[in-house]
Amino acid sequence: MNYDDETLMAYADGELGEPLSAEISSAIERDPALARRVERHRALRAEVAGAYSTVLERPIPERLLAAANGSVASTPAGAPQRRVEVLQFPARPAAAEGGRWGAREWAALAASLVLGMLLSWQFIAPSRRAMVTASNGALIASGALARALDSQLASTQRPEDPVQIGLTFRSQDGTYCRSFTLRRAATAGLACRASGEWRIPVTAASATSGGGVRQAASPPPVVLSVIESRIAGDALDAAGEENARLGGWDPKRN
Amino acid sequence: MTADTEEISVRLVALLPRLRRFARSLSRNQHDADDLVQLAVERALRGAGQFRAGANLAAWMFGIMKNAWIDTCRARGRRAEVALPEDSGEHPAVSPGDTDASLWSVSEAMSKLPEDQRLAVALVLVEGMSYKEAAAVLEIPIGTLTSRLARGRSALAAALSAEAPA
Repeated sequence: MNYDDETLMAYADGELGEPLSAEISSAIERDPALARRVERHRALRAEVAGAYSTVLERPIPERLLAAANGSVASTPAGAPQRRVEVLQFPARPAAAEGGRWGAREWAALAASLVLGMLLSWQFIAPSRRAMVTASNGALIASGALARALDSQLASTQRPEDPVQIGLTFRSQDGTYCRSFTLRRAATAGLACRASGEWRIPVTAASATSGGGVRQAASPPPVVLSVIESRIAGDALDAAGEENARLGGWDPKRN
Repeated sequence: MTADTEEISVRLVALLPRLRRFARSLSRNQHDADDLVQLAVERALRGAGQFRAGANLAAWMFGIMKNAWIDTCRARGRRAEVALPEDSGEHPAVSPGDTDASLWSVSEAMSKLPEDQRLAVALVLVEGMSYKEAAAVLEIPIGTLTSRLARGRSALAAALSAEAPA
């Protein structure tokens, strides 16, 4: 059976429906030339995705942080150690009327964003609710997210915990990475340990849990592909995860 | 800023690394890519009222970036017709930060693709979107997406293997 290139491409991308997909799977086992064609599609995909993945690591220019914060870039260039609060976790319903942020909370957040842009971090108190901050162009976990990444184990966490830890693994450069989901913000991401901090190269909208059903721990595809590009070997099991935590996430201590 | 704009702003910052990656896969250097991100972020915040709560913010942003990119290319094309009768290397392929050889060679190969194929490749191969999601961002039928993706891929494979014979 001869398959055209578009069909094989869709098969390699996992986009082909049944029964065609199963038919090609078995044809591949009998036909090494067909297997090579599919493999070439997969290899090209991995090469292109891998090449651009380094962009996620690069420092984010101040002008983009300012633009995303809705302010004009007016801060002096090259000012060191500026931190900006970027992702806040909504307060518990008890604190915010009606479960959603009111104008007051948003105004306070807007003020803190502007302050964060203009003042260096030492002069303002860090908000206890900030989950992600930007520091020297990198997104860094803070607050409840940083605490969960430091101490929470996927094996013992409760479904009601605001941060859900997914996979924990060693990256190819030896450091530890952990995937996470922020339940109320419906955001999933990956954090990797570097210089005593959890850096966040990627976030994505996570599937919203329907009708209070506990959502599966599978990260969104974009987060998964970053995991696949970094992971060395398999994800850690419960014992490996606990050992890594005991070692303070220091790659040299385990 | 309204509350909704503020909420989008907060989520946009967390998306910046991905927006930069997508922009970098469209343009040949990081500076042009960051110009595109900035333009798109500004447009998004101005049009934040059009974002439906619960929709996929990344997909919405990629759509805005696609339009902004096409606008930029058209403007640049007009300028090029006037000032640059032939490719004079006005836009250097290598920006100072591009020490990564694989990024350099893939960027070169991507820059040779027609815009419509490059957008399809960027959304599916770089950003990991499904065919359905990518077709929705580009506002084209899924069959059109599939054929652009297939042509883009075979051109990329040819360019990459010509450069580094195995």
